[in-house]
Amino acid sequence: MENLFEQSSLFLQQLVNGITLGGVYALIAVGYTMVYGVIQVINFAHGEIYMLGAFLAYTMVTFFGLPFFAAFFLTVLICAFFGIILDFVAYRPLRKAPRLAALITAIGMSIFLQNLARMIWGSQIKSYPREILPAFFYRPALSFGEVSMTWLQIFILSVTVVFMLILHLIIHKTNVGTAMRAISQDKVTSALMGIGVNRVISFTFAIGSAMGGMAGVLVGLYYNAIFPTMGYVAGIKAFAAAVLGGIGSVPGAMLGGGVLGIAEVMGAGYISSEYRDGISYAVMIAVILFKPSGLLGRQMGEKV
Amino acid sequence: MKKFMSFLIVFGLLTGIAWADSIKIPVASPFTGQLASFGEGVKNGALLKAEEINAAGGINGKKVEILLEDELCDPKEAATVATKLANDPGISIVVGHLCSSSSLAALPIYRAAKLPAISPASTNVTIGQMSPYYFRNVYRDDFQGQFLAKYAARVKGFKRVVVFYEVNDYSMGLMLAFMKEAKKLGIKVLGTEAYSSDTTDFKPQLTKFKMMKPDAIFIPGYAPQGTLIVSQARSLGIKNVAFFGADGLDDDVVVKNPDAEGLFVTTPFLPDKAGPQAAGFIKAYRKKYGKDANWFAANTYDAVGMAAAAIKAVGQDREKIRNYLASINSREKAYNGVTGKTYFDKNGDCLKEAFVKEIKGGKWVSAEKQLQ
Repeated sequence: MENLFEQSSLFLQQLVNGITLGGVYALIAVGYTMVYGVIQVINFAHGEIYMLGAFLAYTMVTFFGLPFFAAFFLTVLICAFFGIILDFVAYRPLRKAPRLAALITAIGMSIFLQNLARMIWGSQIKSYPREILPAFFYRPALSFGEVSMTWLQIFILSVTVVFMLILHLIIHKTNVGTAMRAISQDKVTSALMGIGVNRVISFTFAIGSAMGGMAGVLVGLYYNAIFPTMGYVAGIKAFAAAVLGGIGSVPGAMLGGGVLGIAEVMGAGYISSEYRDGISYAVMIAVILFKPSGLLGRQMGEKV
Repeated sequence: MKKFMSFLIVFGLLTGIAWADSIKIPVASPFTGQLASFGEGVKNGALLKAEEINAAGGINGKKVEILLEDELCDPKEAATVATKLANDPGISIVVGHLCSSSSLAALPIYRAAKLPAISPASTNVTIGQMSPYYFRNVYRDDFQGQFLAKYAARVKGFKRVVVFYEVNDYSMGLMLAFMKEAKKLGIKVLGTEAYSSDTTDFKPQLTKFKMMKPDAIFIPGYAPQGTLIVSQARSLGIKNVAFFGADGLDDDVVVKNPDAEGLFVTTPFLPDKAGPQAAGFIKAYRKKYGKDANWFAANTYDAVGMAAAAIKAVGQDREKIRNYLASINSREKAYNGVTGKTYFDKNGDCLKEAFVKEIKGGKWVSAEKQLQ
């Protein structure tokens, strides 16, 4: 009987781990999905924005001695600005070029930013000093037998949920959101209707990158590790989450992140930790085989 | 065009002269990437030895020049570096590689080119048997794993242990050796879990370990992941569980982590346990670099010393150097270095002592009880 109790608390703890990981994937996935929705380009440099976010907050906290929440806020703003520059430098000149060209500049920017970070911060793993958050963040907020959820986990999850809701409101209730949806359907007609296409695209990059930078800081805190290549693996996973949920769909990115995070953790916990990534990608492939447009994606016909 | 040609000629002459004037000893190791801090010890040790050799007049009047070859602890990069060195007729011996997986990738290339190499740090068991051209002045993982099991059982009294290993040659070799010996000594291994080097999330595996209630978690991996594992275990509320590892955890990043207090590791070199032959090295190292020499520095210092001794004795001929190294096969003929006497068995492996050090008050200190 005790064994059954232990088994179920193990399962619950893994679920908590999986949901937190999924929330992080979702935050990054939103950046991919929004940019893809609007200009049909996969912004492979998005993972690097996430990495820069983690490093910027690190520098502000350790070098300039800012309090954590101020650093967090500033980082999000700066990452939004980086997103705009990224679009301006790497994608805007290629707006009318074949989509493959933009894909190559995306990969180029990704490699460039990774190496830039390596030059500035070095390649070794850094971690945020423990003192930057009040001590209670590391203590369990809820505990049930052996299962516990720390305040930090709750903080990460609530930031994720709150910003997803804000994003949903922006897309569906504001003028700029309406313009984004219009551009995603037809760029030329939107321009004819008087929508400033480039301005709206810049805005899209800004929002997506802000979320990416935010995710970088949260992950850096949660796993205690920031390093120049962190954006690569996380970016690929988040991209997979975006595809799984249906690329172009914001709720899809959230759902995809959750599914991928839980699949990964359960795979490692119950099947084999050696094949952890393999298992999570197998889940993704299985979903895509049965539903090629992703869990919540629209049928996109010839666009893909 | 003419200008360019003459530039080329001058450049060629200059480099040619430089080549004729010095003896190049390449040192292959990660110098950037995740394991860059291991490479720092390697680099410092090699440069210090070369400086001392040159100050004493070089090898037969020629200066020693250390070439730092970065391979990122990546087997693919190691093979590229190895191919480059094997095809350079100016190279007669290599000091390297550091990671076992890199050594295993580079070794067939050196064997084909009949180029001898001395690894200061690769501990995987199979390396020695695979090539008559590959030597090492460090113990093997079967020894290290056994040693750790004995230490865990006899000194620490652990009964229930779990193993958290990385999927690579070094870590898996250590795990197997540890488990075999642990079984003999009555330590129960409750479970093993794996991770890959690109992950930062260890919570699913640690959650499983938490439910098993072990006395200790053995991490036979490298420091960048080891430090994260320890911190994430603490944040999952794993308490009263000891952590220990092998020489791969011997790094600053682990010491600076407050969660790692009490963690212990095996190491081939401890400044305060080294014999009187190491005193000069330890002092010179501290003076030049402002910190204590770690085992990567000490072993590389000796490996470069052995390479220089070989060249001094038989010249820059690859085959002769190999035969010279192979002839150092008994305690009487041993090379006397800062890490003690080094001599090779028929596989090019050597017998070296292991020591234990632990983290106390945020510093490495030699463990009070050593196993000899």
